[in-house]
Amino acid sequence: MLNIYKRAANDMKDGLRLSAVWMALAKEDIGDQHRNTTLGPLWLVVNYLAFAASFIFLVRVGRDDPNYPAFVATGLLVWFYMMDVITNSVTLFLREENFIKGTTLPISVYVFRFFAQSVIRGGYALVGCIFILAVSGSAPTMVWLYSIFGIAILVMTAPAVIIIFAFVGALFPDSQFLITNLMRVGMFLTPVFWTYEGTGGIRHFFYYWNPFTYFLEIVRFPIVYNMVPVTPSLIAIGIGCGLWISALWLLGRLCRRIVFYL
Amino acid sequence: MVSISAHNVGLSYRLGRKLSLAPRDLRLPVDQRISEHGRARYVRALDGVTFQLQAGDRLGLIGSNGAGKTTLLKVLHGVYQPNVGHVERIGKVDALFNISLGFRPHASGRRNIVLRGLINGWTRYQIEERMDGIIEFSELGEFIDMPFKSYSQGMAARLAFSVATALEPEILLMDEWIGAGDPAFQEKARDRMLELTQKAGIIILASHNHQLLKRICNKVLELDAGRVKAFRPAEEAFSKS
Repeated sequence: MLNIYKRAANDMKDGLRLSAVWMALAKEDIGDQHRNTTLGPLWLVVNYLAFAASFIFLVRVGRDDPNYPAFVATGLLVWFYMMDVITNSVTLFLREENFIKGTTLPISVYVFRFFAQSVIRGGYALVGCIFILAVSGSAPTMVWLYSIFGIAILVMTAPAVIIIFAFVGALFPDSQFLITNLMRVGMFLTPVFWTYEGTGGIRHFFYYWNPFTYFLEIVRFPIVYNMVPVTPSLIAIGIGCGLWISALWLLGRLCRRIVFYL
Repeated sequence: MVSISAHNVGLSYRLGRKLSLAPRDLRLPVDQRISEHGRARYVRALDGVTFQLQAGDRLGLIGSNGAGKTTLLKVLHGVYQPNVGHVERIGKVDALFNISLGFRPHASGRRNIVLRGLINGWTRYQIEERMDGIIEFSELGEFIDMPFKSYSQGMAARLAFSVATALEPEILLMDEWIGAGDPAFQEKARDRMLELTQKAGIIILASHNHQLLKRICNKVLELDAGRVKAFRPAEEAFSKS
């Protein structure tokens, strides 16, 4: 067991040492995705703004909640990041098959390459989120700083999620379709644009038993309610630790064998 | 002193019978290297491969298709980990397997040199140091700053060849002899390859071209169904050809 974690740690260490490789490839990936467009990666901001504005406008009709734009803006920021990470991780090793079979780069290089991409994309969405918060008149307070801590937890959990879903996708190719569909449905089962006021019922279940909720709340709570989300933070950290333990176990166990599954 | 040796190297792997909703192929394997244990199928790709090479050795790997030549090269490179035996490498190992790997169509030739260099494990300084030589050798001139996708097939091959061979290998692994471009460039490429083989401490070249191996190599390892059939001097191996 210890050897498995040692192997995973070595792979991660070697991957981190090759940051110049994965950073360069990640930047190229983002550039390629928006090549030949006038706005380039700014389309990421536009996409986020268009989606968020539509939701705010459509769902806000009949509501009298001045915090709702901030609620949706922060909710979508986190949800889009989680959805991007999960749905694209499933095909990660399949996309990197030629590299995995043709080089001796550590497996974590591919994880970090995609992680860097996801952070860059999330960064553009964050610009859009800040814009909505500014336009909607939300007044920043010191408690908002806690959202940065929430974002840090979210981002630090992402590589673990990428490792897990990348192995799942390589071992079980059908999972890419299952997971894509689950994430589409998941958006409506997660309090991204709906609120829960403790009234019980089905929303109670989807609010408390949905792990995504806690990652949403650690970023959203300080901004929308001006409160420090202590319990959601502890739960999110707990989930993050669990994911890292599982991810490192998978990495250590399969990093040398994944080449045979592709 | 560079050296590479394989000690009783064996590689078996589970056949990629992935968890899938698709119907399964229930036919029984006919190849003796494929075995079934319960619901799993295993391929024995290499079995008991042992040899040792010292500085100055040029090994030709021969054998029919599927004999295990590419697999052995990948084990020696470290892409595959053997599950029996071990490989000892003293010296930096470079491989020329897929020279076009990692080239990005939208990036310029120059940017592709940087990216390919990073993938090869070169430092920024080494990339800068080799950049002019690579551009000059590829004969791309001002096209080097054009997108890779705008290159003709020959230009792309010239660039890929120039980057791939801008190495200073101690142990060089090659899956087939590589060449590129028009007849004039091919001659240049041949010279570069010969130069590379002379510079490298050890070369292992897998090929079906026995004339080439006879010219380049001093030792030959013949594989058959993943096992060493013969490991002998090249003159002896090619004495009839």
